[in-house]
Amino acid sequence: MTSLGRRPLTTTDRRTTLILAAGTALLPITAAASQTAEVGKLDEQRNRWPLRGISFDGDWRFFRGSALGAEARSFDDSAWRKLDLPHDWSVEDLPGSAGPDQIGPFDKKAIGKGATGFTVGGEGWYRKHFRLDAYPVDARFELHFDGVYLECDVYLNGTRVGGSVHGYIPFALDLTPQINRASDNVIAVRVRNEGRNTRWYAGSGIYRPVTLNVLPATGRIAHWGVSAWTRRFANGRADVVVKTVIEQAQGLEVITRLRDGSGAVAAEARSPGSAQVEQMLKLKGPRLWSPDEPNLYTLETELLRGGIVIDRLEQLFGVRIVTFDPQRGMSINGKPTKVRGGCIHHDNGLLGACAYGDADERRIGLLKARGFNAIRSSHNPSSQTLRDACDRLGMLVIEEAFDAWHESKEPQDFATHFRDYWREVIEAMVLSRRNSPSIIMWSIGNEIPSRATDEGVEWEWKLANAVKQIDPTRPVTAGLNGVLGQEMVVAAGTARPGRAGKVDNASTLFIDVPGYNYRLEDIEPEHVTHPERVVYASETFAREVFDYAALSERAPYFLGEFLWTAMDYIGEAGLGATAFLKKGNPPFYFAAWPWVNAWCGDLDLIGQQKAASLARDVAWGLSPLELVAARPAPEGTYPWAANWGWPDEVASWNWPGQEGKQITVRAYTRAQKVQLLHNGKMVDEKTLSADDKHTIEATVPYAAGTLEAVAFVGGREVARRKLETVGPAAALRIVMEGPSRRKGREALAYARIEVVDAQGRVLPEDERMVSLDLCGAAELAAFGSANPRAVGSLRASQARTFRGRALAILRGTTGGMVTMKATSRGLPAASVSTMLA
Amino acid sequence: MDAPHYPPAKAYIAPRRIPRVLSSHDTPIAVLQSIPAAWAIVNKEIPGMDRRIGNEQLQVHLGNFSLASLLVFGVVQPEPLKRIDEQLKALGEVA
Repeated sequence: MTSLGRRPLTTTDRRTTLILAAGTALLPITAAASQTAEVGKLDEQRNRWPLRGISFDGDWRFFRGSALGAEARSFDDSAWRKLDLPHDWSVEDLPGSAGPDQIGPFDKKAIGKGATGFTVGGEGWYRKHFRLDAYPVDARFELHFDGVYLECDVYLNGTRVGGSVHGYIPFALDLTPQINRASDNVIAVRVRNEGRNTRWYAGSGIYRPVTLNVLPATGRIAHWGVSAWTRRFANGRADVVVKTVIEQAQGLEVITRLRDGSGAVAAEARSPGSAQVEQMLKLKGPRLWSPDEPNLYTLETELLRGGIVIDRLEQLFGVRIVTFDPQRGMSINGKPTKVRGGCIHHDNGLLGACAYGDADERRIGLLKARGFNAIRSSHNPSSQTLRDACDRLGMLVIEEAFDAWHESKEPQDFATHFRDYWREVIEAMVLSRRNSPSIIMWSIGNEIPSRATDEGVEWEWKLANAVKQIDPTRPVTAGLNGVLGQEMVVAAGTARPGRAGKVDNASTLFIDVPGYNYRLEDIEPEHVTHPERVVYASETFAREVFDYAALSERAPYFLGEFLWTAMDYIGEAGLGATAFLKKGNPPFYFAAWPWVNAWCGDLDLIGQQKAASLARDVAWGLSPLELVAARPAPEGTYPWAANWGWPDEVASWNWPGQEGKQITVRAYTRAQKVQLLHNGKMVDEKTLSADDKHTIEATVPYAAGTLEAVAFVGGREVARRKLETVGPAAALRIVMEGPSRRKGREALAYARIEVVDAQGRVLPEDERMVSLDLCGAAELAAFGSANPRAVGSLRASQARTFRGRALAILRGTTGGMVTMKATSRGLPAASVSTMLA
Repeated sequence: MDAPHYPPAKAYIAPRRIPRVLSSHDTPIAVLQSIPAAWAIVNKEIPGMDRRIGNEQLQVHLGNFSLASLLVFGVVQPEPLKRIDEQLKALGEVA
């Protein structure tokens, strides 16, 4: 019942052409745009020259596999599958997949094994037909890819026009020389994700948006050519420095403006054009950007010739100053701010690697709601959609360039290209992202092999220096595991300011703010030797949440932590696994197939809180008290949790078959005393000591009913939490999450499907098949659960609930009403209607 | 209030390494492996050490991990590390 509403392949329809032709008389130059530009963008851009950021995501054709000669313009792709970007083929069902070794997109024999969550890469081809007849004859065309995984070659009308080998960096290609202005053009993109090239799920294909820039024949703002940063606050004014690189600048004028949220001009500067123009915007009464108040301006750059605008660029911009020093840690606009961070990988859960604005906003919104104020984009440059979400919602970001430098972690990873392409990666990362207020540091690498060798140290310097040559306004960092390497001394001219001739470690010589992975015990002793360092924990175990919270409180030089990870992700399968091991066996468990997701997140793959997240709520002051029960170990076994995991705890009092047996329960609280009440009767009372790390543990003989914890401070009740035994499944419930602010194909709608009892309580252990019927202006983009094991397709209209829940993600088509009906055998159907713009 | 500034350096001159006493806590395993006398001590105190660190995922981190870094993974135990440190100390400073 899904309706897609496909459009013709040629991308300029007659109506659009007529509208734009009429506009030509009014504008210096006007243009037609691709059909997909009608989706959301063209209306806004129609009256402006030039056209930048026109969506090029619609109406592609795709073939999974090798396709001889598919770069040729005349190649017959009529049998290929039609799709709209972003697209990730690794999360789609395998052709002809059948259990038990192939389940949906997962294959037990996948070359990436658990690292890629048993998903499969390979080769894929994309082709898109388009016409550009309606644009002025001398217009220039630039195609911008935000990210393609992994290696790609881009052809226009049969001629290779560029490509990328990195997988996560954006790149732009000048199409102008190869464009056919009178007839059909064909872009063909060959993408290869071969071998063992990643330690986590990367996805495959053109998984981030593609946009087209239509530019004037002469004179333009250079690609990523505008940099802006806040230099000073003084006397109620902010000084913002803007540098603009201009191509063919002769005879041009540059106007730079900051517009506030209402569109009013807050500051403006005009300068004659030159190859590089530096301007100072003096902003009175600036509305500052911070995680708590992410006030944004629009940074508007215009190039004019003879008073007529010939190029124009708009970017988000936030006025803020972030400083780091060992006395106060990190300060944002002068206010000391502790990092409450989480590492995230780039996938959007059930959507795979596909980058959608709505998906990234949801993800960042979920983390904000749990108290996170920072993410580390581990271990690759993030998508534009993610950074926009962080800018808009107020989430600090560490952008990271590499997981390996000159030595590989996986046989075919980026180390194989590093020596040839490292500078390209650094430039693309920093140039494209330097105006995002959310970015606070540039990371040049994570757990880099052999970083403390002579060669490693030289790379450390080269990379840090390359970053600073582009952006000297932010510190360079790196995620450092293990030990920091031999002590060394750096000469003046090579050293960071103030560090010449002073003893430092090989791994921190050129790092302004070192990030430590799993080095909790080292941080305070090291401060004695290196009081000049400002440090943070770039990766942490969830189980250390209260230790890091305490360290954050007592150590000003310690910025805070980045949990590994804030949210579950596909790949690194079972990194945070729990298991029951046979008594007498050693405490070791290898999470093999069918584990497919990491299961180490505070939030699960569909965004629900796990027990670790409840404890973090307490550690970070979001909740005064949380109560969980440990899943009972089967007879003859003991519970085990991986280093990155958390004990198998659930906020549930539903343990049928355990009647009369002892259930371990834990309460997390910052209160002084906790009473436990079972079916209204007090069964235990514990007073917390400093050694308890805000955790009490007790055993309670199980009987259905209620288990309640009551927390006290100074004899006064401060909080209460109750777990209840729920009844049998009585219904399905569909909960639609907030409406999308996007339109058409950019709009997603998230629908949670819950199995509930007669009182509307979610069944915490329920697993059952649910089928969806969808009708109206949307298609099913993904449907699945948070189950860390492969249980089925992520694209089919049937999915199995896990812990009583599943998640459906709808993608808009033409705009309009969407009706979704959920059914499951033995339960009344549920249905919901929602509007997608 | 002024924004901070992190200027690039002028040129690269290889930093000077300071000789140090090897240890199970601070010295990368790869460095211990590269010094036969040191690695012999490790193997004597932890038999089968090469096999213990033969895991593919661990191998890439031997330049960053010390023996003590392996404690969290249960690959080594604390007691042999004390004996290793005493013997490494006897080797004196290493460049």
